[in-house]
Amino acid sequence: MAAQQAASDQSKRRHKHEGPQKHIVAFIFSIVLTLIAFAAVGSAGEVNTTFIYIILMVMAILQVVIQMAYWMHMKDKGHMLPIVFMFGGAIVALTCIVMAVYWVWWG
Amino acid sequence: MSAPVHADGQWPHEPEKATLEGRNKVLGFWLFLGGEAVLFGTLFATFLALRNSIGDGPAASELFKLPMIAAATIILLASSLTSVFAVQALHQNRVKSMIQWLIATVVLGFAFLGLEIYEFVEYVHEGHTFTTSAFSTAFYTLVGFHGAHVLFGVVWITILIVQVQKKGLNLVTAPKVYVSAIYWHFIDVVWVFIFTVVYLMGKVG
Repeated sequence: MAAQQAASDQSKRRHKHEGPQKHIVAFIFSIVLTLIAFAAVGSAGEVNTTFIYIILMVMAILQVVIQMAYWMHMKDKGHMLPIVFMFGGAIVALTCIVMAVYWVWWG
Repeated sequence: MSAPVHADGQWPHEPEKATLEGRNKVLGFWLFLGGEAVLFGTLFATFLALRNSIGDGPAASELFKLPMIAAATIILLASSLTSVFAVQALHQNRVKSMIQWLIATVVLGFAFLGLEIYEFVEYVHEGHTFTTSAFSTAFYTLVGFHGAHVLFGVVWITILIVQVQKKGLNLVTAPKVYVSAIYWHFIDVVWVFIFTVVYLMGKVG
């Protein structure tokens, strides 16, 4: 009884909700990583091509990890199986890429 | 037809997982996304293998215009942000706000599609058609497949907006909106790899 009373006395929002700040920070991070990637391409010709490729891939993977963790809520608890599914998919995808690139370029 | 409500009559913290059906829907959707990752992986593999086989057609570095790609990237990133705001509104049971964010997501999705169609038309005028070279076929298959996913997403979210307006936000409609947002973020994640691998690496050579 008392507990029910206390619950109804509280405002509509009984549990804490995260604010938009984290997502705005994730958005700004994504924009900055994108800008770095575009800037790296702008320096093509002056800088070693392999080095630019590495920068591009690092920026892409960082951005994807941030977006999956925050926007797709994968950092939240109860996301063990989604991580297993996505990781499994990524492993198979990566195997395909290694196979195709190796097969066509050095086969 | 009354929709099920939470046991204590309050809007649950994670309404998309408040029912068994909702939990199953979310989990099943993640399994689907794992499969989608494989699917896009094979298309990326094909593109990477064939990206230098340009035959008589134009090369990636002379074809791509980075300002347009940058604009498309910003638009899709922004739509991912509006989509996550819609889910936050969903968690707080603010239906009006959720629908507004969903509409913003759909509008940005259409803007992205418009840019992509314009881009493809430009390329065709420059002699870069689907059958020009192995590179052009791999390019249109990969980027076009992503574009088809964006189109599917905007149609899907539009239908959900109509449904939520008709039936209200409840424990049946909440998982649908949540899952569509996850899908939208996944499309954005794939685009990150497309602008990196296809456009930026193509520009570098």
